[in-house]
Amino acid sequence: MAEVTLSNVRKSYGAVDIIHGIDLGITDGEFVVLVGPSGCGKSTLLRMVAGLETITGGDVKIGGRVVNDLDPKDRDIAMVFQNYALYPHMTVATNMGFSLEHRGGSKAEIAERVKWAADILGLAPLLDRYPRQLSGGQRQRVAMGRAIVRDPKVFLFDEPLSNLDAKLRVVMRGEIKSLHQRLKTTTIYVTHDQVEAMTMADKIVVLNGGRVEQIGAPLDLYDRPANQFVAGFIGSPSMNFLNGTITPEGFSAPGILLPLPEAEHGHKDRKAVYGIRPEHFFLDENGVPAEIILVEPMGSETQVTMKLGETLATGVFRERVSLSPGATIRVRPDLGNIHLFAADGGQRLN
Amino acid sequence: MKAELSPRRQVFLYGLLCVLLIPFVFPTWWMVTSSVKPISDIFAFPPQLVPARYDWTTYSKVFELQPFVKQYWNSAYIAALVTIGTMVVSSMAGYAFARIRFPFANTIFMVVLLGLLIPSEVTIVPLFQMFLKAGMVNTHWPLILVPIFGAPSVFATFVMRQFFIALPVELEEAARVDGLGRFKIFRKIALPLARPALASVAIFTFLHSWNLYLEPIVFLSSADKFTLPQALTQYTDAYGGPMWNIQLAAATLTALPVLIVFIIAQKQFVEGLAHTGLKG
Repeated sequence: MAEVTLSNVRKSYGAVDIIHGIDLGITDGEFVVLVGPSGCGKSTLLRMVAGLETITGGDVKIGGRVVNDLDPKDRDIAMVFQNYALYPHMTVATNMGFSLEHRGGSKAEIAERVKWAADILGLAPLLDRYPRQLSGGQRQRVAMGRAIVRDPKVFLFDEPLSNLDAKLRVVMRGEIKSLHQRLKTTTIYVTHDQVEAMTMADKIVVLNGGRVEQIGAPLDLYDRPANQFVAGFIGSPSMNFLNGTITPEGFSAPGILLPLPEAEHGHKDRKAVYGIRPEHFFLDENGVPAEIILVEPMGSETQVTMKLGETLATGVFRERVSLSPGATIRVRPDLGNIHLFAADGGQRLN
Repeated sequence: MKAELSPRRQVFLYGLLCVLLIPFVFPTWWMVTSSVKPISDIFAFPPQLVPARYDWTTYSKVFELQPFVKQYWNSAYIAALVTIGTMVVSSMAGYAFARIRFPFANTIFMVVLLGLLIPSEVTIVPLFQMFLKAGMVNTHWPLILVPIFGAPSVFATFVMRQFFIALPVELEEAARVDGLGRFKIFRKIALPLARPALASVAIFTFLHSWNLYLEPIVFLSSADKFTLPQALTQYTDAYGGPMWNIQLAAATLTALPVLIVFIIAQKQFVEGLAHTGLKG
């Protein structure tokens, strides 16, 4: 186990900057998720930590040692790839013991470690099979087995669940999390799926365009996003945004006046973006009118697409909404959960 | 799932295949049957598809008139060395072109490929001069070195490169994380996975070397150094006319190992070409 520190890490391909100076500290045993849209540089950053990509500038430290110029094999890391990267011509046992074999482990030691990892991951009956004889979930487990068998300082996961179906993804998510709780190895996990990030991380790093947008605990990011990008990226369905102006009476958006907490009136006559999560609307006869566009009953909740003034918004209600599209409901935003962002730049105002 | 063909369509397809087989099967059939006919029956009219009389002495004469066993050995060991050499050179070169980034890699590969466009008849005279100066004429070295570093190897390199390009990069990255250096990645990961491509390289290289004709007649002059294709032309009578039945018996013996190798390895050969995106 080890801490990982990135100091002003940059990556360029020719004149094109991909990573623009990232600073990140990961403490010993922490589970950090790098999340962001496609092309934001999260996989590149992970590969730079692994040593599979060169570093244009800055320092990567693992366990206090600068590893910028070290080969992947000398960094004491293990990586799980998106497509598992199991060696097709080797059995599960050979795949798992391969790295130990090349680091001079004795046969008995390798067999013992492979058995230990196989027992943890429920792979013992599959050790003599080839990757082609395994299901997607089993392959995923073997890839994890290959990573843990060596007891590395850091685990790196590069979108490991994206090739699995939705149901298996949920199962494997739980397995990875419980594996981390058992082994307590420092883990860096890349995903574009914010649900994975929220459910697994001790700390989330939201990346966009090669820059860190926000670093924090999952609920901190959810409750107090630093900017409009993070607010929109974290949470599903995503946060509603209404453009408008802060006035002494409330927030004036096209065709509607929305209530604001009194503390926010100080920003009066400022152009801003009003952000509210779908679950922070309540059905209230004294609320603002909203025209129903679409009702999607999910069983435990009802998702309603509605028109607030001239802006489409989504509301999620615990109550069952039986109204049809075209009808009007009255909704009240929860004043304790309103997010205001600057109209220019999207930084948080409140 | 494959769709079942209707019986009528099956009959039609099999009929078509039988017709298409004629140009491939008939010469072989003619060669084998004529090798056991007396020479007068070979040109009998109407032609005899099945020999009316059998003359098995043709096969013993093959060995009496020429040092055929020695020539067989020459062809066999030259083809084996060329095959092994080409597999080593083409797999390493193909891997380098596919995976190692070095300056002008693509340009160099194009230049190498240009070698395929030059007919061997064009280069044979300069090659002869080179080997003459090196004292290697009337030895087997030209027949071993020219294919390993010449056009056949270029084609093999191309096949191997195409295969290695298609191999997922993540496998090699996983191996790097697992502690392997470049050469070990090649030997432990890339090469074992390239078995189908290597098999097809082995088969066509072996065939090419086994059937080589121009180079032996240019570089070799003594009968005990001859290879089989060259030896076949030596079965002539006192007036220089071919002794057809003996020549065809020798040809049958020459074709036999190739047929056996191909029948055994045809599955891998087809798989290999399929992997490389080439069509047979």
